[in-house]
Amino acid sequence: MSHWMFNCKKVSHRVSESMDRNLAPHHRLFIRIHLLMCKYCAQFRKQLLFLRETARFIEYPPDDLETSTLLSSEARNRMKQMLRT
Amino acid sequence: MTEKISTVNPDLDPETWVDQYGDYLYRFALTRIKDPFVAEDLVQETFLAALNGRESFKSRSTFQTWLTGILKYKILDFFRKKNREQAVDDIDAVDETVDGFYHNNGSWKIRPGKWDLNPSKTYEQNEFLNAFFKCLAKLPDRLARIFMHREVEGLDTEELCKAFQISATNSWVMLYRARMHLRRCLELSWFNKVEEENR
Repeated sequence: MSHWMFNCKKVSHRVSESMDRNLAPHHRLFIRIHLLMCKYCAQFRKQLLFLRETARFIEYPPDDLETSTLLSSEARNRMKQMLRT
Repeated sequence: MTEKISTVNPDLDPETWVDQYGDYLYRFALTRIKDPFVAEDLVQETFLAALNGRESFKSRSTFQTWLTGILKYKILDFFRKKNREQAVDDIDAVDETVDGFYHNNGSWKIRPGKWDLNPSKTYEQNEFLNAFFKCLAKLPDRLARIFMHREVEGLDTEELCKAFQISATNSWVMLYRARMHLRRCLELSWFNKVEEENR
């Protein structure tokens, strides 16, 4: 069996893992070398980073909507009533 | 909204939540779900859940952040239910493992495509966010949740292990699988890449 740095499956797993913990420096080096040689794994990594960016967007405040967008008074009353009991 | 340090906490009176946070939550939901009625319902469900789970609120986050956290899962659940109505088979068909993406020798079988994107432009589009949520909701439940915890809430490994009662290695495997399926789903539904399987 050859070294894991030549195996896309193993490299991509570690690419994902590198987003959750610090890998050893030589592991990072192996990954970097593989990514230079393999465009699919490089694209895979870019996609994961993009997922992360998108997920963070979910967290953003809803500032693109007019602040005049308000709950209807019916909904407001209904909810108050629900919370009162 | 002003932050009050200790002393009297106005958040203890649930009825005041509606005026204090209702509009914010409504806008938050509406940004992600276009339907005003659905958005209203989700806000109401959020308040209800908050009412029942008040004890679990920890003051290390603000009350608004806490409520928003609940709402995010309600939004996810909404998309999950919608998916279920649309295609029952589809959901169950998601295999949690990622073996199918590779050949036996570890090379790519279903190759990641090139996503031509400008992130700031892409994720400003509501339709894209919609596609993202739909794909997230298609994941097996625990994968969707661990992804949310990690990438949206920003929990670290230790916190994930506690929340899911799993080992660190396990959490990394689950996140890897979640990301793999999520990116594939987006590739098919949004980036619409040509299948490159079985070259």
